Amino acid sequence: MSFPEKMLRIDRRIIFFVIGLCTLLPLLYPVDLPIIVTPEVRMVYDYIESLPDGSVFLLSMDFDPASKPELEPQAIALLRHAFSRNLRVIAMTLWLPGTGLAEQTVNRVAQELGKVNGEDYVFLGYSPGVGALIIGMGQDLYKAFPSDYYGNPTKTLAVLKDVPNLRHVDYVVSLAAGTPGVETWYLFGKDKYQFELGGGCTGVIAPGLYPLLRSGQINGLIGGMRGAAEYELLIDQSGSAVAGMDAQSATHFAIIVLVILCNTFYFMTRRAAARGG
Amino acid sequence: MTAVIPGRTLSGVCLPWVMLLLWSLPLSAQAQDLLPAPEQVQVFDTPNDAGQSLTLLWADSLRDGPGVRYQILIAPVADARATAPAVDPAAMEIVAEIPSDSHYVRDRSWPWWTHPAPPAFHRYVINSRSGLELMNDTPYVVTVAAVTGEIRTFGPAIQAVPEPNWVNWNQMNNLLLLLAFGAGVFGSIRTAKRREIFLRRIPGLDAVDEAIGRATELGKPILYLTGAGDMGEPSTIAAAVILGRVSKRVAMYETELIVPHRDPIVMVVCQEITKQSYLEAGKADIFKEDSNFFITTDQFSYTAAVDGIMLRRKPAANFFMGSYFAESLLLTETGASTGAIQIAGTDSDHQLPFFVTTCDYTLIGEELYAASAYLSREPVQVGTLRGQDLGKAVILGVLALGTGLATIGLILDAQWPALLLDLFRDYK
Amino acid sequence: MTFLRRQLPLVITFVAGVIFTLQYYVPHPKSEILLTEGSLWIQIIGLFALVLGVTSLFHIHAVKIKRQEPGWGYSLILYFGIVVTLAVGLFVQWVGGQHPGGKETIDGAMTAFGWIYTYTMVPLQGTMFAILAFFIASAAYRSFRARSKEAALLLTAAVIVMMGRVPLGEYLLPVTGDITLWILNVLNASVRRAILIGISLGAVALSIKIIFGLERAYLGGGKE
Repeated sequence: MSFPEKMLRIDRRIIFFVIGLCTLLPLLYPVDLPIIVTPEVRMVYDYIESLPDGSVFLLSMDFDPASKPELEPQAIALLRHAFSRNLRVIAMTLWLPGTGLAEQTVNRVAQELGKVNGEDYVFLGYSPGVGALIIGMGQDLYKAFPSDYYGNPTKTLAVLKDVPNLRHVDYVVSLAAGTPGVETWYLFGKDKYQFELGGGCTGVIAPGLYPLLRSGQINGLIGGMRGAAEYELLIDQSGSAVAGMDAQSATHFAIIVLVILCNTFYFMTRRAAARGG
Repeated sequence: MTAVIPGRTLSGVCLPWVMLLLWSLPLSAQAQDLLPAPEQVQVFDTPNDAGQSLTLLWADSLRDGPGVRYQILIAPVADARATAPAVDPAAMEIVAEIPSDSHYVRDRSWPWWTHPAPPAFHRYVINSRSGLELMNDTPYVVTVAAVTGEIRTFGPAIQAVPEPNWVNWNQMNNLLLLLAFGAGVFGSIRTAKRREIFLRRIPGLDAVDEAIGRATELGKPILYLTGAGDMGEPSTIAAAVILGRVSKRVAMYETELIVPHRDPIVMVVCQEITKQSYLEAGKADIFKEDSNFFITTDQFSYTAAVDGIMLRRKPAANFFMGSYFAESLLLTETGASTGAIQIAGTDSDHQLPFFVTTCDYTLIGEELYAASAYLSREPVQVGTLRGQDLGKAVILGVLALGTGLATIGLILDAQWPALLLDLFRDYK
Repeated sequence: MTFLRRQLPLVITFVAGVIFTLQYYVPHPKSEILLTEGSLWIQIIGLFALVLGVTSLFHIHAVKIKRQEPGWGYSLILYFGIVVTLAVGLFVQWVGGQHPGGKETIDGAMTAFGWIYTYTMVPLQGTMFAILAFFIASAAYRSFRARSKEAALLLTAAVIVMMGRVPLGEYLLPVTGDITLWILNVLNASVRRAILIGISLGAVALSIKIIFGLERAYLGGGKE
């Protein structure tokens, strides 16, 4: 077996090791490369900026712990922005395994900004039904969620005063790791109850949501850790996403180098075969 | 008199307005000279909605512009039986105050068959909201006033009743297209029953036999996944249908079949399907009830378990049919590392790049739905496929024609292209 | 028996299919109530099916342990995980003598169930998802070869998008950012729409076949 052939059949654990190093080293020794804010992320930011004090903002954290590295920074940045704009925040999730994570995130950011549960924000938790749940919220939010995550009746909460259904919500953002997620909120929510909808998602499914963005079905899109980093820059509070961007840069370039290498070896083997044959 | 028609109250000469006009004539006459009152006012239940909403229309005015505003006013009718309830417009609740050069009918797109008024008319929708609850089947009196500085002139106060509607006429084009497509499918099935229809080759499906044969030769099992969806998703149903065809051949070859599931209902359905396939293949004696088994509904726990099965059992062929998310690459890359033939079929367009990169064959999008027809060659299945192709041809034609008509409409500033274009638009 | 296995399900499918198709065109609140009620039914049926699923899971692993098949130790771990998590979630009192009731925190304090969630489920799931990055790299190395002109084009687009989505790429070659956006917004979006149109037509055709009883394989294979 020739050298290029050997290289093409390289043990994949070597590739794993290279990717591991490219992730670890930039996290230990950050370079802080400049990040350019894309229009789709700015659109979400601008819309929240345009909402007056006391507007109702619903954040649906539709992800599980697996997507935490990408979507939690988005949730934190959005919550920081919404709280700093004095919006009334309703947080919930359509993913049962994500309930604990969503609760921790909301409470952490709320405490950081001195917001009071029940007055400035509410965590509704998880309820089954997905599309039917959203329709139920569109009809009667107090009936769809009779109590919040902690068992407080939603009808008595100051933050939900005069918010009987989704028509009274000014902006909904779904941070999705798949389905149910942004498309579900569009289909069963925005399509029926005419609120404005924004989206956030993992990098893997971001390209799939661009058609929704282009057709105006969502008014902005925060894609993956890159999107989270852009949002952190917009609110001027760098967090884990900005820190992770160096690692992402390094891994992307490692993959590019690997692809170039494998093609070089591929063409070397092809040429050798042509010469031999 | 006031016309009170549930669902739609037409504009007309309004008695309370006339009474009020007479009552406040001197002041009103002066104001009218400076600022004409809104004309051609119509108030009616907002059509095509779930209720608790009223729509107000009025004609645009030459005075519209900076400095002039419109106030929308509402009052509940105390005595619903009264044909002409007297309400003082000045005492009515102001719902909103809007610039006079805003809120036009043209701001929203309407299909021609439900267009409410000329595009230049003003339109305001009063929805039930905090502080203003509109009750269904309860009459309200609504009017609009033009305001400039201290002067306020009222349009006629009109009574209307909000109510929920049973049909959304805006979406009737959608229903029509669905019926037309359905008719196309049925027509194609009839044609397919009469004569043979050509099916292009789908390499991924040609490879099914090869994969099963290889597994038999090697004495290794076949792994079949039905995806992440539940039984309500067409892709899962398609995956279950293909499982029926695959398991029949697997039964004939007497190869082992492993079908791990993420959804218990899908598991039960697939158990029935495989059982039937073994029966049809005359191999009921070798059918194993637990070839279909449930793992977990959790995405990555399921992925870890299936990866474990791949590494321990080393199946000779892996089938990935149905809908998938981030787990797709974790599954297929592990499968590739075991040297299995891999055939994928998914409508999860966002996962297609991963499947194409790591699988030997990939059924892209609608090919998943075509698989059943390709494997069975039954006229019903093949005819449906032809119906789909006809639908696609129509969409292509509409895209080309629509682009041309829209361009002509813009160049000539003509409305007639909308007669056709509206039929293919999505309205809410 | 044939009636219960064949005709009745087909009748139910037809009636439910027509009603829920027409429901889309009915804005009346009663139509939405019908949809939410239907969804509740599905949830209830799903719960019964979950019992079947869990029974199947226990059975498969019990057989593995009994026969000491390769990897039977993992089956033991599975039993252990299920029993411990269930017991902790349902019975262990942690915070002020309160039952956790499946909650991760009570009054801001972590429950025993919450501890399991935070320190086992969160890192384990995170690990599984993180493996994706490693697998993408190995899959790219193995499969991303310019075997044809089309493959070379795909390769070039992939490299540009990979550069354009990270700060280093935009820093070294600023134009990649704009090209990436164009690729995602124009090329990617239009091709996906084309694929979506095909998928949607396929899904509608399949639904029509199921509603009208032309596709019956999901009932358990062939014809009666």
